[in-house]
Amino acid sequence: MKKKMSFQSFIIAGIRNKPGRNLATAFCFAFIAANIFSGQYLIAGAVGSVNQGVSRMGADFIVAPIEYTVLLRGSGPENTFAIVKTLPTVWRMNNNRMDTIGNVQGVIGISPQLYVATINASELSSLPVDIFGFDPETDFTIQPWLRQPLKNPLSQGEVIVGHQITGDILSKVQVSNRSYTIAGRLDPTQSAADTTIFMGLDDAYSLAQTEGVVPLSAPRISRGDINAVLVRIQPGEDPDPIGARIRRSFPPSQVTVIGRHFTLDPISQDIQGLPGLLKIISLVIVVATFPLIALIAAMVTHERQREIGLIRSMGAKRNVIFSLVIVESLFLAAIGGIAGVAASLIAFLLLNTTGILNSALQVSFRQPAVADTGYMAGIALFVVIAIGGIASLVPAYTSSRMNPYDAIRGEDR
Amino acid sequence: MINVDGLTKTFRMDNYEISAVDDVQLNVQPGEFILIFGRSGCGKSTLLGMLAGLIRPTKGVVRVHGVDIAHLSDDDVSGLRAKEIGFVFQFSGLLSTLTVLENVLLPTLFCTYSPSSGLRALELLEKVGVLDRADAYPHTLSSGEMKRVAIARALINGPALLIADEPTGDLDVDTEFEIMELFRQLNHEGTTIVMVTHNPDLVPYGTQSYYMERGKIVGKPKTSSCENLDLKSVSHLTTRDLT
Repeated sequence: MKKKMSFQSFIIAGIRNKPGRNLATAFCFAFIAANIFSGQYLIAGAVGSVNQGVSRMGADFIVAPIEYTVLLRGSGPENTFAIVKTLPTVWRMNNNRMDTIGNVQGVIGISPQLYVATINASELSSLPVDIFGFDPETDFTIQPWLRQPLKNPLSQGEVIVGHQITGDILSKVQVSNRSYTIAGRLDPTQSAADTTIFMGLDDAYSLAQTEGVVPLSAPRISRGDINAVLVRIQPGEDPDPIGARIRRSFPPSQVTVIGRHFTLDPISQDIQGLPGLLKIISLVIVVATFPLIALIAAMVTHERQREIGLIRSMGAKRNVIFSLVIVESLFLAAIGGIAGVAASLIAFLLLNTTGILNSALQVSFRQPAVADTGYMAGIALFVVIAIGGIASLVPAYTSSRMNPYDAIRGEDR
Repeated sequence: MINVDGLTKTFRMDNYEISAVDDVQLNVQPGEFILIFGRSGCGKSTLLGMLAGLIRPTKGVVRVHGVDIAHLSDDDVSGLRAKEIGFVFQFSGLLSTLTVLENVLLPTLFCTYSPSSGLRALELLEKVGVLDRADAYPHTLSSGEMKRVAIARALINGPALLIADEPTGDLDVDTEFEIMELFRQLNHEGTTIVMVTHNPDLVPYGTQSYYMERGKIVGKPKTSSCENLDLKSVSHLTTRDLT
């Protein structure tokens, strides 16, 4: 037997008193929360999808030894595909050139790559497999293609494999009697990266020292050697002057700077219009439902005026009445908000799993990260709770100022 | 305990004023059982409302323990009401989603918390004869049981004064008798009671009885003793006998 009364149980009792009415109120809050959350989620998913696309476009420039241009003859000097990795060549340079490139105005990211060898290993792929070294910390071209983000930063003995390399995550691959753990797998790139194993530069240098890995005809690989530096420039900057500045930073005939000739700006502009539209829709719904919630709150307090009069006759002060009405509204808002967000999330997960979302949006929907989802849910909850609080301010004030005796006798008159 | 002097309440209706209570004088001593009766609309409920600080008088003073509650702030009156005054209405006013025990404990929310409240609530339920219904919900109770619970609720904070506004108005004769016996028992145990009713048959229960008409106390019969009173035996008393 419960021998203590609390405001909490009193509020819950008040809500239980009219379950249908309170369910309808909570539904209104759920509708608002679902709308706000869905809008944000759709925007984040669509923007995330575009951002992923942009990040997968790889580098803006590749800076390699001048001999590299020989490989490009016949297909033209400009790279029209995403620059994910450099070509497998034996022309190398020292990584001390990276500082020079990094200091060029307009350059915001640089990352080195080293081609080690190409091996034939039927257990890994039916095609020859390229072995590449890269710097996981500065890399911005390979890891955006990961099917699933790495749980931890790539460490020694771990590799990222291309789409066509056999082996599960956390399984071992053997390269020249050395064993590596597969930490990540790339999505299909429709390029040679699909049959490439990427490892950290330290592992790459160690592997290069192993007898028989680098062909005897090729120059030896020393620590500090790299094949190319991949360069990212400030978004929106004109790439041509930056490329020219990089070239001018080195003596003639020392490096080649190869760029790509396409951008994602039109797509980015299209997607930028979406958040504004969804925000307007959310605002319209909030504005439209606000009076409804305020009206419900006013009806509830009118309906409960005898109860309010009664508890005033028991000694409840005005601020207690005010707080009770507000807290009850906040409670319903919180319950409705959580239900709305949860229902939206479940719906999105189902639609995304079944592929309906992608076909409906006509764009690949990238599910936002858990932290981002939590943030969006928090925003939606905050908004509905704020609406619940503001909408009940006037009814709460009116109730608290009600003459208790009139309130008690109100239903008799 | 309660001293009422020149108490007046007027209500403005369109272009004229109605005096619901007109220059009432009243003194209530500790341990008294005051009965105020009169016809509907004579102003007795308004008078009770002013005694409890639920209605602000137009004129006059209501002193409770020497404090003029008519001039206290709303919060101060509420605080005094929580501690000193228990109210029983004609309707039970029990909250349907709270159990009997929770209903009785409800006023403790508005008073200083006491760990013994739960025990006191059970004692009160035993005193009013519904302890076995402590976990029941109001809709399962009879009218008499509801009224008993309402009385227990009015007493939970240990008020010095119990005010009852036609508490037996909606009850049958037998239940009315039971409830009045309960009031008499509480009064004998020291609870000061002020009750209004339109039923003159209840006069013998009061230590003081007053008759109200058109907002004024117009009659004051002699003190009656209600020891060994059979309610049905006093049914011959009429309003005329008391004026």
